[in-house]
Amino acid sequence: MGLFRRIFGKVGDEGDTPEASTTSTKDTEAKNEEESQEETSVSEQISEDVKNEDFIATVEVAVTGEDALEEHFDSATKPIATAPLPQRSIIDGATRPLAPDQMYPMQEDIAGIDVLTYGVSSDVGRVRSNNQDAAQAFFVTGISADDHPDFGMFIVADGMGGHHDGEKASAITVRTVTAQIMKSIYLPMFGGDEKTERVPITEALIAAIQSANKEVMTNVPDGGTTATVVSIIGDLAHFAHVGDSRAYLISREGIDQVTRDHSLVQRLIELGQLTQEEAEEHPQKNVLYRALGQNETLEVDAMTRRLPANSRLLLCSDGLWGLIPERDIYETVMNTSDPQQACEKLVAQANAKGGLDNITAVLIKVSK
Amino acid sequence: MPDTTQFGDIEDNFSEATLKPNTVLISRYRIIGELGGGGQGAVYQARDLNFPEAKRLVAIKEMHYPSADPNQRSATFKTFQREANILATLAHPAIPKIFDFFDQNSRAYLVMEYINGSDLEVLLTKTKELPIDKIMEWASELCDVLDYLHGQQPEPIIFRDIKPANIMVDSRGNVRLIDFGIAKKFVSGTKHTMIGTEGYSAPEQYRGDVNPLSDVYSLGATLHHIITREDPRLAPPFSFNERPIKDYNSSVPSGFVEIINRALEMEPSKRFQSCAQMKEAILKVRYGGGGGMIAVNGTDDGSPKGTELFPNMENFGIEARWTFKTEDEIRASPTGYRNYAFVGSYDTNVWAVDLTNGEFAWKFPTQGGIASSPVMDTSSKLVLFGSEDHTFNAVDFSSGRINWSYTTKGRIRGTPRVAHDHVFFGSDDGRIYALVAANGRYLWEYDMGEAVRSRPFVTNELVIAGSDSGEVVALELSGNKKWGFRAKRGVMSSPIVDDQGICFFGSFDGHMYAIDSGSGYSMWRFRTTGPIVSSPAILDDLVYFGSTDGHFYAINAESSREKWKFNAESPIVSSPVIYKDNVYFGSNDGKFHCLDTNSGKEKWVYETKGAITAAAHIMENVILVGSTDNSVYALPLID
Repeated sequence: MGLFRRIFGKVGDEGDTPEASTTSTKDTEAKNEEESQEETSVSEQISEDVKNEDFIATVEVAVTGEDALEEHFDSATKPIATAPLPQRSIIDGATRPLAPDQMYPMQEDIAGIDVLTYGVSSDVGRVRSNNQDAAQAFFVTGISADDHPDFGMFIVADGMGGHHDGEKASAITVRTVTAQIMKSIYLPMFGGDEKTERVPITEALIAAIQSANKEVMTNVPDGGTTATVVSIIGDLAHFAHVGDSRAYLISREGIDQVTRDHSLVQRLIELGQLTQEEAEEHPQKNVLYRALGQNETLEVDAMTRRLPANSRLLLCSDGLWGLIPERDIYETVMNTSDPQQACEKLVAQANAKGGLDNITAVLIKVSK
Repeated sequence: MPDTTQFGDIEDNFSEATLKPNTVLISRYRIIGELGGGGQGAVYQARDLNFPEAKRLVAIKEMHYPSADPNQRSATFKTFQREANILATLAHPAIPKIFDFFDQNSRAYLVMEYINGSDLEVLLTKTKELPIDKIMEWASELCDVLDYLHGQQPEPIIFRDIKPANIMVDSRGNVRLIDFGIAKKFVSGTKHTMIGTEGYSAPEQYRGDVNPLSDVYSLGATLHHIITREDPRLAPPFSFNERPIKDYNSSVPSGFVEIINRALEMEPSKRFQSCAQMKEAILKVRYGGGGGMIAVNGTDDGSPKGTELFPNMENFGIEARWTFKTEDEIRASPTGYRNYAFVGSYDTNVWAVDLTNGEFAWKFPTQGGIASSPVMDTSSKLVLFGSEDHTFNAVDFSSGRINWSYTTKGRIRGTPRVAHDHVFFGSDDGRIYALVAANGRYLWEYDMGEAVRSRPFVTNELVIAGSDSGEVVALELSGNKKWGFRAKRGVMSSPIVDDQGICFFGSFDGHMYAIDSGSGYSMWRFRTTGPIVSSPAILDDLVYFGSTDGHFYAINAESSREKWKFNAESPIVSSPVIYKDNVYFGSNDGKFHCLDTNSGKEKWVYETKGAITAAAHIMENVILVGSTDNSVYALPLID
C-alpha cells in the first residue's frame, strides 16, 4: 500500500468486512453496493503518477546500549536525539494535490500512516551505577513504483545480572534480534517472489528473540534480559515480548498496555490472588518467570495490532512504568508533539521520582 | 537448570569460600567434602570424631547470617536455636535426626543424620521415567510425614518448601524430607530483578498466608513435576492445569491424576483438607477399594466436557421442527429466503421447501451432484448455485424456474459469494469467475491453476480466495491480482476478513493462517494436528474453527493464543456459525454441537445419522442443518 495509502488514506477500508461478525457465514448482503468502481479508477491514476517517480528513501537508526551493532554503525552509548524526518515536499510537488476531504475519507482513526517519527531515550537513573537497558530504533520509508510499505523495528531490552552481565545480555539481544529481523523480515520484502511462502511475521519475531536467547545463554550464562520488540509494516504493528518491559498503545481513546508482564505478581493478579495495590508493595514484585537467558527453550508472546491514526507506541523498561502512573505517561505523551522530547520528559519524570532503576523509553508517533 | 535465585542478592557479600576437607569444627566434626549447596549455604559430609572406632557420618548444614550486626545475628541465632530444638524432638522415619547445632566463625551449623541417596531433582536428571507405582508409594509416604508435622502441638509445623530438591530417596528407596524451613530465617528480601520463581509454592503463600494446605499444594506440584518432567520453575506460576498429566504420561491412573489436580487447586478449600485425606485417596487408587482404580483410558485432556444438564434425555430434549429427506447426501449448507429453505443435494437437485413446515415446494434438477451451497441474491430474487455438471445456475426463488446459467470447464464445488451486484465463485477448472448476478453476464475470470473450492471473500476492494494448490490470492474488483500467498497445502477453507482487515483461513497443512488483507503479509499461523477444511468465524477478538484433528478451537485474533478448545472426538470439517453467545458446528460422527462462545462448554448436542460436513444456516428462529444422512433438519433456535 505504501505511498498509495499515505496519500490516499485507506479508500473504502471502512467496509473491509461486509458481513457482520455474528452472522459470519451468512451470505454477503450487498450492503456496500454503493461503492467503489470510481475509487478504483482514481487509485489507478495515482499509481500512474507515482510510476514516474524517483526512488527516495530515508533510513534512520538510533542505538543505545553497550556495543550494540557497533560493527555496523558508529554507535553512541548516550541517547541520540532523533532528527526530525525530512518533510515530504516531493509528494505535494509530484502528485496532484487532493482535497482534504478526499485525502481522508470517512474513518480517520484507521487512516494510513503518513509520516512516522520517533524518539529514543535511556538513562542510568539515580541509584544504579550502570545502565543495563538497551534500546534500538530503525525506520525506513521510501517512494517508488514498487510501493513498498514503510518498515520500522524498535526494541527495548532490560538486562539483569552482576558483573556487567546485564548490559551484555541486553546488548547481545538487541544486536541478534536486529540482524535476524533484517534477514527474515526486512530483506525478503524486496525479494519480489510472491510464490514462496512467507514466514508469518510474528513467527519471525519469535524466532529472532529465541536466537537472542541462545546467544545470551552461550555468551552471558549468568545474565538475563527482557525483550520487547515491535516491527511495523505499513500500519500494522507486530509485537514480540518476554519479561516485564512494556509496550503501550496510546491514542485519544486512552492508554492500552499491549504486552503482558511475565512477572510473578502479574500472574497472581491475573489469577485473582493479589490486588494491584498489594502487587505494588509485594516483596517479590521484581521476580520474573520468563526472560531471555534463563533456559534453552523460551516461550515468546506475540501479537499484531493495526495502528490508529494519531496514535503513539511506547516501549519502556520497568524503570519507567514502575515509577510513573499510566495516566501521567498518557498526559506527557499526548501533550508533547515531538516524540524525542516526550521520551526525555518521561525519563526526567522517572528520575524525579527517585530513578530507582535504569529508565528507557522508545516512542513512535503515528501521524495522520 | 537455573538456581531459583539466579540473580538474587548478587551484591551481598556471601560468597565466602566453603570449608576445605579435613577442617574440624568445634573439635568434633571433620569435614570430608561438600554434599551440595543450598540457597543459603553449603551442606557437608563430615565424620563425627567422638566415635573414633566407628565411621559415623553426619551431614552438616552451614548457614550464613544475613547481617554483620551483632544484635541481629544474636536474634537470628536464637530463632535458629529454638527451631533446632523443635526439630530435635521429632521422630519420624522420613525425617532425618538432628544431632547438634552450634555457631562458629560467624556461621551457624546444624548437624544431622547423613542420608545415603539422592534427591528427587537429581533423580529426575538421572532417569528417563520413574515407575508410577513407586511415585504413588513416595506420595503416600510424603503425605504421612507431612501429616505428622501438621499434627505437632502446640503449633503445626509447616514445611513450606516441598520440592524435588528437598526430598531424598535413601538407599532403601524410601523418601526422606530434608532442608526444613529453618534455613528461611537466613534469607534476606530481594532487591534486584530475579528470574525464576519457586515454582512449587501455593498461591496463598505469596499473600503471607501459610497453612498446612500450602504443603498439600506443593506436594501436588512436586508430583506433577516428577511425572510430567516439566519443571514448574520454567513455566508461568500456577499453570499446572495447562500441562495435563495424561498428555505427558498416559499410563498414570486417572484416579491419581485427579488426586494431583485436587492438591493443585488454587483455593485451599477445594484441596484435600489434610494430608491424611490425601494419603487415603492415594491408597485407594493403589490398592483399590472404595473409589478404586478408575479406568486408565479417560479423556482428562483439560478440554471442556459435555454438559450433564439433560443426561438421560435423547438430544437434550431438542426436537426438530421438521426434517426433509433428499435422495442423496447433503454436503453443503442450506440457505433460506422469505418462507423458503433451499438445499443442494448430491442427488443432483436443489430443493426448495417451506420453511415453516418442511413441505416440498420445488426442485431444480442438474446433471451432476450439488456439493456447494446455494446462495440467495436478494436484489434479483435469484437462487445461485453451481453443480458438478460444470454449470452455474440462477433460478427464481419462488418458482424454481431457470433465469440464466453459465458453463465452466470443470465441476463446480465452490460456494458462490454475492457482493456488489456480482457473483464470485470458483470451479475445478482452476478459475475464479465474476458474473453479474442479475443476468449472468461474464465480467472476468482469474486462473489459479488448480481447483478453487473455497468460497471467495469480497471486501470493498478485494476478492480473496484459495485453491487446492495452497495459493491464496487477493484480486482487485477488476480481476487483477493484488497479492498472492502460498500455504503448504490446499486451501478449501473459505477466507474471512475481520474489521481490522486481517484475513483468516485454514489449510490442509493443518494451520489456521492470519494475513494482512491489504498486503498479503502473513502475521501468524496456528497449528492443529489435522487438515483444516472448516472456514473460520469471527466474534469480537476470537477466531472459531474446527479441525479434522477432532477439536474445535477458539483462538485470539491478535496473538493466536488459544482461548479454549473443545474435544468433539470426531473430525470436524463443517464451518461454525455464531449466533448470540452460541457457536454451532457439526462433526463427522453426525453430531451437531452448540457451545458457549466464551467458555467452550457444550450446551447441547443433536445427533443426525450421517456426517455433518457443512455450516448450519440460521434464520427465523430455526437452525437449518444438512447431514450426509440425506436430510435437512430444522432445529429450534433456543437462546
